[in-house]
Amino acid sequence: MKKEFADTSRRSALKTLGAGSVALALGRFFQSEAFAQQQPSAASRIPTFTGPGANPYWNSVGKIATFPQKAPLIMLTDRPVQLETPRNYFLNPITPNDAFFVRWHLESIPNEIDLSSWRLRVEGNVNNPLELSFPDLLRKFKPITIAAVNQCSGNSRSRFQPRVVGGEWGNGAMGCARWTGVHFREILDMAGVKSGSVQVQMQGLERGKGPQGMPSYEFKKSLDLTDPVLDQCIVAYAMNGEPLPMLNGFPARLIVPGYFATYWMKCLSSVTLLDKPDGNFWMNPGYRVPDTPRGNTNPADVKAGKVKMIPITRMPVRSFIVSPDGETKIPAGLPVTVRGIAFSGSGPITKIEFSDSARGPWRTAKLGEDLGPYAFRAWEIQWTPERPGNCQLAVRATDEKGNVQPDDGVWNPGGYLWNKIERQQVTVGVAE
Amino acid sequence: MKSPVEKVRLFLALAGLLSIVAVGVIYADLELGYYSSSNLGSIAQPAPMKQPAGAAYKISEFPLYQPELAPGDGRQDVESYCNTCHTPSYITMQPPLPAATWEAEVTKMGKVFGAQIPSESQASILKYLDAHYTPETRKH
Repeated sequence: MKKEFADTSRRSALKTLGAGSVALALGRFFQSEAFAQQQPSAASRIPTFTGPGANPYWNSVGKIATFPQKAPLIMLTDRPVQLETPRNYFLNPITPNDAFFVRWHLESIPNEIDLSSWRLRVEGNVNNPLELSFPDLLRKFKPITIAAVNQCSGNSRSRFQPRVVGGEWGNGAMGCARWTGVHFREILDMAGVKSGSVQVQMQGLERGKGPQGMPSYEFKKSLDLTDPVLDQCIVAYAMNGEPLPMLNGFPARLIVPGYFATYWMKCLSSVTLLDKPDGNFWMNPGYRVPDTPRGNTNPADVKAGKVKMIPITRMPVRSFIVSPDGETKIPAGLPVTVRGIAFSGSGPITKIEFSDSARGPWRTAKLGEDLGPYAFRAWEIQWTPERPGNCQLAVRATDEKGNVQPDDGVWNPGGYLWNKIERQQVTVGVAE
Repeated sequence: MKSPVEKVRLFLALAGLLSIVAVGVIYADLELGYYSSSNLGSIAQPAPMKQPAGAAYKISEFPLYQPELAPGDGRQDVESYCNTCHTPSYITMQPPLPAATWEAEVTKMGKVFGAQIPSESQASILKYLDAHYTPETRKH
């Protein structure tokens, strides 16, 4: 009796489950175009755009895409290529080459370079114009390695309020690598800079479809010859001990430690000494910031023509919480390690402070390995959430010059210099 | 002793029963919410590149991805003119922008960057942007 009941119920359960699920499966398969189009429901995917408010996500909201020599990255645009590094990669203070962000201005970029014909030309106002081959770079100069942060001027542009036009980056248009190459100064000295020279202009292999002489045709950047940053610059032919990925500037790019990436010319092919300041679009009005504290202004003053603009240069101090990222609910009472990175364009990071509430207090975090004054500095701190609820974690960094991250955003028409204190909401759960 | 035919029948019956159970379990999981019935999409792995010998350093072609422009009048002008220098994803990447900002952008593309867009196409591009990409009109 008992056995019979068990058998019957098992059989009927199986029958119901089997028949029901087959019907369900077929029904779903035929009824929904979603299967064919592979479209997720709106609730399960990130929105396709943000605004007019600030982008609330850590990264930008682009799709994940694959490019040659690259891990799957967040795509802003495919032509020219602009790719953002996902947050998790910043747990390590050295960003892997295949995850390093990509930003080109123009669409014609090389995917093949013949080193037998590639040359770095140094010309213009010099005594001995040069044509350096790749082996020349390797053999004629003393190699030097420096760890330095490369950050797009417009990193975090999607935080701006009101929003500004441009690449709508989240926080991932930055990376830190060990760059190996030769001192830029040694190359300039070899060429013999003539007196009367005022700037050195860099150009790479990228070109655009626009008419010659227009900024849509070529991208050039210049540095003042009196700028002390020139003593730190290197022409790098290796990145983290490997050739540079093509999208990051193979076979050589300029490294300008402490400065925003706009000067770090990729696929460097020509260096020209100028006897008057570079007036090309990418120097003026391109890549300019207000000559005000923090480069801050407002739309009304810009419209009224009241704002004096100067070329963007050094990166302000910044720090980030990488983990926890808010994806994981943390049980009250469980000690967790909060981890992240910090950097500044004005000297080494001297202090990182952490808070678990909007009102403070701030506690000093432990600094990780010192990879040099221009590198990411890893930091971590033990944190035990006491009570269930939502917590606002915050981090702020101080650099050697005493610059501290502010709790206010910045606004300028280019969407540059964002360095507001970063906050991460985490949910603390009941544990009993 | 069972005949070979009986053996095959038995095997088929068991296999059928098992597969029904498996499907049942998967859909029971779906119903319980272990798995979502929606598909988030996936990306293809690129094939490894075979390198040429000698001094040439080559990577695969850069892939192009389909821009998701809103359907409507003027889209063709966007695709033929804006697309010359950059993917129209430059438009969809932006936050919703006021009509005056779009006008300033289109003007800048011509005057500053040197894009050669006939004035009637410029007007049609602006009309399209206003119809789909302002705070009032943007849907996706």
